Amino acid sequence: MSKAREASEARRAALARRAVERGIRAEYLAFRMADEIYAVPIAYVKEILKLPPLTEVPRAPFDVMGVISVRGRIVTVRDLRRRLRLPEAAPTRRSRILLAELGPEQGGTGERVGLFVDEVLHVYRFADAEIESAANVLGSELAEYVTGIGRQEGEMILLVDLKPILGGAKAPAPAQRPALGGRTGA
Amino acid sequence: MVDQRDEFISEAQEIIEGLARDLLALDASLKRKEGVDHELINDTFRAVHTLKGLSGLFGVARMSTLSHHLEDLLDEMRLGRVELTPRVLDVLFRAVEVYGQILAALRAGEPEPARVVDDLLSTLDDSVSRPTGAAANPLAEYDLDPGLLAVLTEYEEHRLRTNLQQGVGLFVIRVRFDLATIDGALDNLKSRAKPHGEILTYLPSGEGGDAESIDLDVLLASRQSLDVLRTELAGPNVQIEAVARRGGPHRAASEPPATTFGGQAPRVTTPPAAPEDLFAVAPGTAPRGPIGPILEEEPQATDAPRQGLSIRGVAQTVRVDIRKLDHLMNIVAELAIVRSALSRITDRVRGAPELRELGIELHRLHRGLDRHLGDLQSGILEVRMVPLGQVFDKLARVVRQISREHDKEVNLVITGAETEVDKLIVEELSDPLMHMIRNAIDHGIEGKRVREERGKPEAGTIALNAYQKGNHVVLEVQDDGAGIDEDRVLATAIKRGLVSPSEVEALLQRDVLGFIFMPGFTTKAGADELSGRGVGMDVVKTNISKLGGVIDVHSELGIGTKMTVTLPITLAIISALVVVIAGRRYALPLASVLEALVFDPSSVRTIEGREVMTLRGATLALCRLDAFFGLPRPPSATSSARRFVVVVGVGNHRLGCVVDQLIGQQDIVIKPLGKSLEGVRGFAGATELGDQHVGLVIDAPAIVEEILAAGDASRLLGARRGGEA
Repeated sequence: MSKAREASEARRAALARRAVERGIRAEYLAFRMADEIYAVPIAYVKEILKLPPLTEVPRAPFDVMGVISVRGRIVTVRDLRRRLRLPEAAPTRRSRILLAELGPEQGGTGERVGLFVDEVLHVYRFADAEIESAANVLGSELAEYVTGIGRQEGEMILLVDLKPILGGAKAPAPAQRPALGGRTGA
Repeated sequence: MVDQRDEFISEAQEIIEGLARDLLALDASLKRKEGVDHELINDTFRAVHTLKGLSGLFGVARMSTLSHHLEDLLDEMRLGRVELTPRVLDVLFRAVEVYGQILAALRAGEPEPARVVDDLLSTLDDSVSRPTGAAANPLAEYDLDPGLLAVLTEYEEHRLRTNLQQGVGLFVIRVRFDLATIDGALDNLKSRAKPHGEILTYLPSGEGGDAESIDLDVLLASRQSLDVLRTELAGPNVQIEAVARRGGPHRAASEPPATTFGGQAPRVTTPPAAPEDLFAVAPGTAPRGPIGPILEEEPQATDAPRQGLSIRGVAQTVRVDIRKLDHLMNIVAELAIVRSALSRITDRVRGAPELRELGIELHRLHRGLDRHLGDLQSGILEVRMVPLGQVFDKLARVVRQISREHDKEVNLVITGAETEVDKLIVEELSDPLMHMIRNAIDHGIEGKRVREERGKPEAGTIALNAYQKGNHVVLEVQDDGAGIDEDRVLATAIKRGLVSPSEVEALLQRDVLGFIFMPGFTTKAGADELSGRGVGMDVVKTNISKLGGVIDVHSELGIGTKMTVTLPITLAIISALVVVIAGRRYALPLASVLEALVFDPSSVRTIEGREVMTLRGATLALCRLDAFFGLPRPPSATSSARRFVVVVGVGNHRLGCVVDQLIGQQDIVIKPLGKSLEGVRGFAGATELGDQHVGLVIDAPAIVEEILAAGDASRLLGARRGGEA
């Protein structure tokens, strides 16, 4: 016990030192979508679910995959791939749903929304200083949803801005909807 | 409380607006020098009369007093004793204005304006020369609540006056009755009081009482002394007070103030009312009616000593805003999330061999939490449940009032007042039930003479039964009156073009009686003040459907009518028909489903690019829900497979929804779709259909509206009329 505590104390001290060196580091939950790595601030992720049976909602906005029941509460599941114009593959056993929530003070609606991802990876820590601006690198379409790029362990991680997705902003018209060829019904 | 006041305000507002319209019409006819339309004067009289009753019921004393006076004036006018002159009209218009001011004050939570009312009252008195020797009026000498005086019937007032003129003392007996035994207990009290005097009236005191009991104020005229009465009528929950004479010996400074009959508000001082006006309200006294909380407390009232009777009102209950319960329910849901997180941790701890003991302990704690959380949830649901007796009490008052006004004797027999339903449902039930009871008294129960001729007991009976049936509550309103004349209903339906004479043959009793739920349907020739204006049953049906309930009528000519309302116990649970559309399951609330039949593709015709079929002679618009929802048909579904038409009805409109399969009826819990799906029309929510699967609940009214309001509605209806002729 005391050994574990010592270790954690040491780790915390190291982290604190690094935080002072580079600025406060925020935690991001990384996930894979279509062979790319994305991440969102972990503070907004309330829960990670395995894919439950999904019910399609006719006439819903184009990025709504459907609704699921989370312990009796009906939750809308959105497909980030459709917003980010990524190719869609059928769900696998690694597919997950991130239950995310953005309170009004963070520019959201407070609604808990499910975000479909192909695979959940792990948590990264980035200080603001370590995040590159995405505007220089990405096209303007993607830049709408990506706040910045973080690099760690040789990976390039696209940090996703949840505000346009959970902030109640209108989804783009379905006319811009990418081809659904690869997707099969849930 | 707030809701009750708002309801009162909006209802009163509506009546006052109608009154203003009638006055304008009277004004116009006066200006054209035409004869005065007596029907219009009658209408104004009725409006004021309704206002009087309403404000009396809600304890809005000044409005009640004003209405009473106006009613007198209009009555005189009705009887031709007072001529309608522009000056009288001026006064009436001024009254509309004052009514508006009173409502505005109530809305702002202020006490009713005193000066304007008093001014108007004195003007009113000038415009009616009353032949009464009012100075000798004995009522003015007594400390009686004007709110009470306003609700006394003419007969009761007459008896009160007579008794007082004979110098008989006036007493208030406040008794708490157990609702279960009230009938017997009240009779018992009456028989015990009879040797000592005359019971003039009894009314709910408006305070005290709870789900199981009610406080009644019994007004007794007696020559006995207070002490004798106290001994003779003593019993549990009985309190007797003498009604004080204004300025009389009872009001000696040392003596505690006697109770005010019919109202709980203490009076600080009671200056004698203006002698020529027995209902005048002295400024500053602001008497309260039985339902005090509608008005905000005035500051000076708190300084006055509360009487013993009022203090006893402290009950073992609290009033809770239902939104607070919703909030608690949400917290429970959050706790459930915490619980499942805990459950995962417990599993992880139990999985680690070195933490086994800790794991077992954690598991036990978790199980306890689980159980208590379940208890908490059902406990909160239980708090929302209230006995139907709450509404029934109100209805008893209504029955008394209406039957007196119609000069019919009606016994209300209540069973199952203890049956519990969700609070929200109880709130929404009182209006529909009131309509049904009014109809029963007005159209159902015959006059005394007719009843005698038909060999029925002079007093009619209305039975109000409630009982629980599975997940539903059944309410029956049954009368032993005339029953509904199907021939007359049919004749009216044909006259109004609701059905063609050739279709009549195919109609069943249920279809025929169903016409009474059509908007504006009435068989009565002349509308009277309470019901029979043809608004009513359609509103009843709409309100009941909104609660997820259904209403059925059964009637036998000459024997009586029975209306049966079936409601879910809580608003959250409704009955639905589960159907399959393009391989997906959907729930259709049964409240809007009329029938389901096998779809015959060969019967489909196209009118104006829209698919229709003929059902029992009527054209039915069709909607293929799979196409409507844009659902691709699964390859497995062969086009030859048998499909079904579910006929949904919303108001007058019918729509046939084509579905692939009927799975069956199921009680479902409707849950809201999240904010992200707010803009999606056609769904009322979602529900769990078991096996973790979510099914969408189809919002039939929205779909009917969308399909029929798509500009083709009128043409479709035209086709319906023209096509069959």
